Amino acid sequence: MDKAKNSTDNAGKVVLNTLPHSKDLKWPMLWWIGMEKLYRTLPWKKTAWTCAAFPIELMWIYDIFPDHPENMATVAAARKQSQRLIEHAESMGFSRDLCSYCKTNIGAYDTKIKKTLGGISKPDIVVCTNAICDTHWKWFQIMADKMNVPFFMFDIPKWVSGTDEKTLEGNIDYVVDQFYDLMAFVEKHTGKKMNEKRLYKVLNRSMELSDLWREIFEHRKAVPSPYSGAETSAAFFPLVVLPGVQVGINFFKKILADIKSLTAKGEGTMPKGNEKYRIMWEGIPFWYRMRFMYDLAQYGAVIAFEPYTYSFAPVKKKCLTMEETLRDVARLIMDTPYAYNLERRIENFEKWIDEYKLDGVILHENMSCRPSSAGMVDLTEAIMRDKGIPVLILQCDMNDPRAYSEGQIKTRIEGFIEMMEANKNTMS
Amino acid sequence: MKKLAYFDTSHEMPLEIIMAAGFSPYKIMGDVHQSNDPADKYLSSFFCGAARSWLTEALAHAKEWAGIIFAQGCNNTNRHYDIWKVHVETPFLHWFGAPLLDGDAARKYYRVELQRLISHLEKQFDIKITPEKIREAIGKSNEIKKKLKQLSGLRSEKDIPNRDYLTAMIKCLTCPVDEVSAWLDSEITLWNARPAFPSGKKRFLLTGSDITYVEWMDTLDDCGIRIVRDDLSVGERFFATLIPDANDPLESLIEYYTGIPKPATRPTLQKRLDYLYQALQETKVDGIFSQNLKFCEPYAYDSVPVNNALKARGYKVIHLERDFSPAADQQLANRLAAFVEMMEEGNNG
Ligand code: SF4
Ligand code: SF4
Repeated sequence: MDKAKNSTDNAGKVVLNTLPHSKDLKWPMLWWIGMEKLYRTLPWKKTAWTCAAFPIELMWIYDIFPDHPENMATVAAARKQSQRLIEHAESMGFSRDLCSYCKTNIGAYDTKIKKTLGGISKPDIVVCTNAICDTHWKWFQIMADKMNVPFFMFDIPKWVSGTDEKTLEGNIDYVVDQFYDLMAFVEKHTGKKMNEKRLYKVLNRSMELSDLWREIFEHRKAVPSPYSGAETSAAFFPLVVLPGVQVGINFFKKILADIKSLTAKGEGTMPKGNEKYRIMWEGIPFWYRMRFMYDLAQYGAVIAFEPYTYSFAPVKKKCLTMEETLRDVARLIMDTPYAYNLERRIENFEKWIDEYKLDGVILHENMSCRPSSAGMVDLTEAIMRDKGIPVLILQCDMNDPRAYSEGQIKTRIEGFIEMMEANKNTMS
Repeated sequence: MKKLAYFDTSHEMPLEIIMAAGFSPYKIMGDVHQSNDPADKYLSSFFCGAARSWLTEALAHAKEWAGIIFAQGCNNTNRHYDIWKVHVETPFLHWFGAPLLDGDAARKYYRVELQRLISHLEKQFDIKITPEKIREAIGKSNEIKKKLKQLSGLRSEKDIPNRDYLTAMIKCLTCPVDEVSAWLDSEITLWNARPAFPSGKKRFLLTGSDITYVEWMDTLDDCGIRIVRDDLSVGERFFATLIPDANDPLESLIEYYTGIPKPATRPTLQKRLDYLYQALQETKVDGIFSQNLKFCEPYAYDSVPVNNALKARGYKVIHLERDFSPAADQQLANRLAAFVEMMEEGNNG
């Protein structure tokens, strides 16, 4: 990403100021890589594959290293490996229309690509949920079978538009019952037992990590924006695999301090006086093309808010009993903003547009991710009607560069910028 | 009897509750001959054509139905409920959270969802869905399933065009039960009187995405393929097992719906394979045809491990991707015909 950011293409152009401590992201990353090595060396330690919206904390509670195929797929994309891995999976018979994270992972595992390029090793167990998509469980099941590793999935009921509180409670009961199934599964296949003392310790740290990220987001409401989606897309890494451990907390504290000092001076991520348009980015970034987010600066545009990284930091309650804790975690799994139903999506997007003083919204209609792409037309219409700001739907893919057409996207972005400009003029 | 429509990507909807509520269950299957333009306004082109067609049908016909129940289905369509809620005009829209799992927790949840559905129907239509009514509906459902099983068994013995089997399936999923039951009796007699299985045709097992229009079945016939077994939801999954008799009719439904052969939208792969192996053991086939509707993810995921497993057992398997269209795709037809031809050469040699 640093490479993209400082690429020669950007010479003489508007360059985003990165936070002084942004480079410290390497510490949680190195810690995570080091931990995996350690866990794989010691026979009594165990490893798991986990997915987004799976309560990763549970793995740390059980002293199981949570590896993350999606995270490694993004590494492969950033290292320009995803296309060949996706094509490898397609040569095995997987359709072009399937999720490119899944195919990157299948290709990475099959070709035994190096960890630094997005490779991934066989775990002791595979655990996942269908909270966001069914792709997760389809993919993880296929890989668990292939690797001959025990497989567990949480079946998370859908929180569809109009779900009432009573139905929600029934849904939570079902998820809580499955926690006990997970405990039995983990114990059976790893010999590890639930340690309640550790449970509260890990959950408290997880809560602190979430709180810090949300505090960072509070400061992102400042004008000019101190921290853009270009940076958060990498920096939210601790929320993906490190909720419950200390190292991510330390990193977020430094980032928060940087942001506070920037906003105190009235400065932002864009050079002084350059911030003209504040944008919401909905969806997963183009990992193989992170330069896209930096290049928006050339138009005076900054990504001031994105539900995607915000999703990973829900409000976590301090619970006093196991049952209370499990109910809270169950609700949180269903409550991820990335999986909001249409009604909640519209309501929250409109709230965020006000809070973050946004001038426009870009919706990534992700060909890999049908669940998140459903309802985008209705979302667009609602935002334009209620908030009177332009919305751009960009059809693309987060990990498959073949879907990215430089010229076409540039033209559409320029049109969008013009619309925001015209809109601002009308408003003023 | 008024129709109560349901959205179901597999066979997850407990039809017996709809019947016990005094309605005729109607499975929304769209119309391949109609343009999907109305739905395309709200659904992007990379959702499967079937789901877009269902929305098109609902936009045009929902007023003729007492309501619509959505059963939790596949990755592509679960979030369509929200879109239907905005655009489809219906007095009654209900989400039925059919669980993906089938263990104790899932069975407990299934009961909660059944009760929620029953209460919603009772409140909306001012009716009482009694255990007796559910039991009566179960009896009727089982009658249909038994007759369909008898009918479908004739596919490998008699000259039954693929189209006839699918037509029977569609009728059973869209027409009033009593009417269908009488119709099935006469079909069984008629099919029994048909000539023997034609010598020029190959016996195939059909798997993959559901097929909801007869033209595709005709294409298979034209290529010399006769479907004698399948594991489709608009197919054998609907009648492979009977609803058991339990004291509590809800328990019967829970046992039945969590125990039917698995589609690609429900774990596990092994359970899905087990049904295929069982069907292949019961009925000798010449080949297996695995087909995927364009953009249908669940079956596209499964097709690789499922087809590899079947090939590893020595079966001849062909996998193709089709569009949602009644027009014959000549390229696909040529590939199918070549596959059948190769089989013939193989047999001769
Ligand atoms: S990109 Fe979408 S479909 Fe793919 S794993 Fe993520 S949430 Fe699931
Ligand atoms: S054809 Fe496939 S993608 Fe379409 S509704 Fe059915 S299961 Fe879902």
